[in-house]
Amino acid sequence: MDIGPYVLQLFSGLSRAMVLFLLSAGLSLIFGVMNILNFAHATLWLLSGYLTFSIFTFLSEQLGASPWLLLPAIVGATALMALIGFALERFLIRRTYERDLPEQLLLTFALVLIIGDLIKLVWGVENRRINLGVQPVEMFDTLINPYHFVIVGSGVAVAAGLWFFLHRTRLGKIVRAAVYNRNMVSALGIPIPLIYGLVFAAGVGLAGLAGGVFLPLLPMALGVDHDVIVQCFAVVVIGGFGSMLGTFVASIIVGVVYAFSILFWPDGALAMIFLIVIVVLIWRPWGLFGTELRF
Amino acid sequence: MQPGWLARHGLTVPVAILMLVLFLLVPLLPGEYWTQVATEILILGLFAMSFNLLYGYMGQISFGHAAFFGVGAYASAMLFTRLKTAGGEIGMLDFFLSLAAGPPVAAVAALIVGFFCVRLTGIYFAMLSLAFGELLFYIVFSWYSFTKGDDGIQGLLPPSFFQDAVNFYYLTLAIVTLALLAMWRITESPFGYIMRTLRDNQRRAAFLGINVRLHMLINFVIAGGFAGLAGALWGPFSRSVNPGLLGWQESGIAVFMTLIGGAGSIVGPMLGSVIYTMLQAVVKMYTVYWPLTIGTIILLIVLFLPGGVLGLVEKRLKARRDGDAGNREA
Repeated sequence: MDIGPYVLQLFSGLSRAMVLFLLSAGLSLIFGVMNILNFAHATLWLLSGYLTFSIFTFLSEQLGASPWLLLPAIVGATALMALIGFALERFLIRRTYERDLPEQLLLTFALVLIIGDLIKLVWGVENRRINLGVQPVEMFDTLINPYHFVIVGSGVAVAAGLWFFLHRTRLGKIVRAAVYNRNMVSALGIPIPLIYGLVFAAGVGLAGLAGGVFLPLLPMALGVDHDVIVQCFAVVVIGGFGSMLGTFVASIIVGVVYAFSILFWPDGALAMIFLIVIVVLIWRPWGLFGTELRF
Repeated sequence: MQPGWLARHGLTVPVAILMLVLFLLVPLLPGEYWTQVATEILILGLFAMSFNLLYGYMGQISFGHAAFFGVGAYASAMLFTRLKTAGGEIGMLDFFLSLAAGPPVAAVAALIVGFFCVRLTGIYFAMLSLAFGELLFYIVFSWYSFTKGDDGIQGLLPPSFFQDAVNFYYLTLAIVTLALLAMWRITESPFGYIMRTLRDNQRRAAFLGINVRLHMLINFVIAGGFAGLAGALWGPFSRSVNPGLLGWQESGIAVFMTLIGGAGSIVGPMLGSVIYTMLQAVVKMYTVYWPLTIGTIILLIVLFLPGGVLGLVEKRLKARRDGDAGNREA
């Protein structure tokens, strides 16, 4: 049996899963700690893609074209996005903590429109993509773009880094504690507003990283954020808000299910994903790895 | 009038009467443009009012409400397509029959979706309603043989009497007014007050012996039915339907209108529809950056004006009345 197409789909699914993980990790962290569902998360991801493109193009003009310039471009974009995230929390999101849920959702919903149009304002309507000029590698009788390995590698690296941060560093443990019970953390004298700012910045920074990493594979275009954000919601719901392991597992489920559904039922691939979301929300609303206490 | 009538009903009746009068006069304006705009305002306003049954009265935000708008539109469009002749004409009776198909089909969809959604509240309700909405969108989008998928359904030309913009407008106005009266009656009944209790304190409602899930489901179905009515009107108005009518961006329109006008009253979303649609028409004449504009407005309203325009006016009136009373006592 020719397993070529299946292997191709598997890699495609895994790299898609890694991008979803990078993106959804930030979303899950933000919701877990702050109870804010950031509708604008994918839009910020898109912004980062455009930023990475601009930095990459600028560096290429100054220093000569080279695929390795992608690295400083990604680092630069991620740092910039973290700063933007910090500013957003400090000046906008902070004002909605006392409010009801619908108003918080609407604030981030409005940001989707605002940031999306700002991207259009600054960069125009054309797609942006980077061609690294890397040759496809032959494996299992089919040609695979080796950049998939880079994505999968960076996804695993970030997952490991996040795990290390959350479980082995003091700040990480504070963040985990805040997911469980923020009032107690505050009562212990830890400045919750600062933690919120850092967590939001970190979440947006992760989205920024995802944007830069995905740039060579998929052209960044207006409107992509609308498709992606609902997939991120699917991942976070299936995995459980606030759980990194859940996000990781759910990303793989969503990514691989999507990639294989494309083979059998192209138009309905996303419908499959939403079916899974509905089943999870009905059977176990706090997700596969979420905590029932928070529900 | 009984004392406290203003406190209980606020500005609803005066605003409703004012809007009805203005709506009746719209066709006097020159040209067809404003009549068309007003028809769109009415249909989307009905959609937004149906959303508000869930949001303002029951306290839950649904990001999948447009699915019922779209289902109503498609049900009506598909019956329309089967009833019309080969030449593309449709008889008057068949036309009304196709319109009548929208609400029941949407209500059945709302029954199925609502059965699952009412088991959750808050953010989980929002996410599940979004997931169902997107599921329905993708089903309509991908089931080409049944719904024509991305192509949409074209050629929804009303009978020649209603092809005239003014006639169709008055038909829409009549239907929407009747729907509004029905919704007003529902929200001012004991059922409506149970909704408010569910919004304010669901646990206490349960203590009082109210079957929370059943009542939420009934309200969900009613809201879905009215959204389906709006959808059924949309088809012949824009002469076509497309899968986008079911998506979360379309749901967002209802949310925006309700927020702008004010969720606290039955006519708030209609007022929001007036402001939103006219703003959109004007802004799009000057710039292509409409999302930026409406996004900023929503941002400012959420931060500074959460009760919407009606909420602001009621607050000012109340402050003035209380101020007067204070002066009189002194």
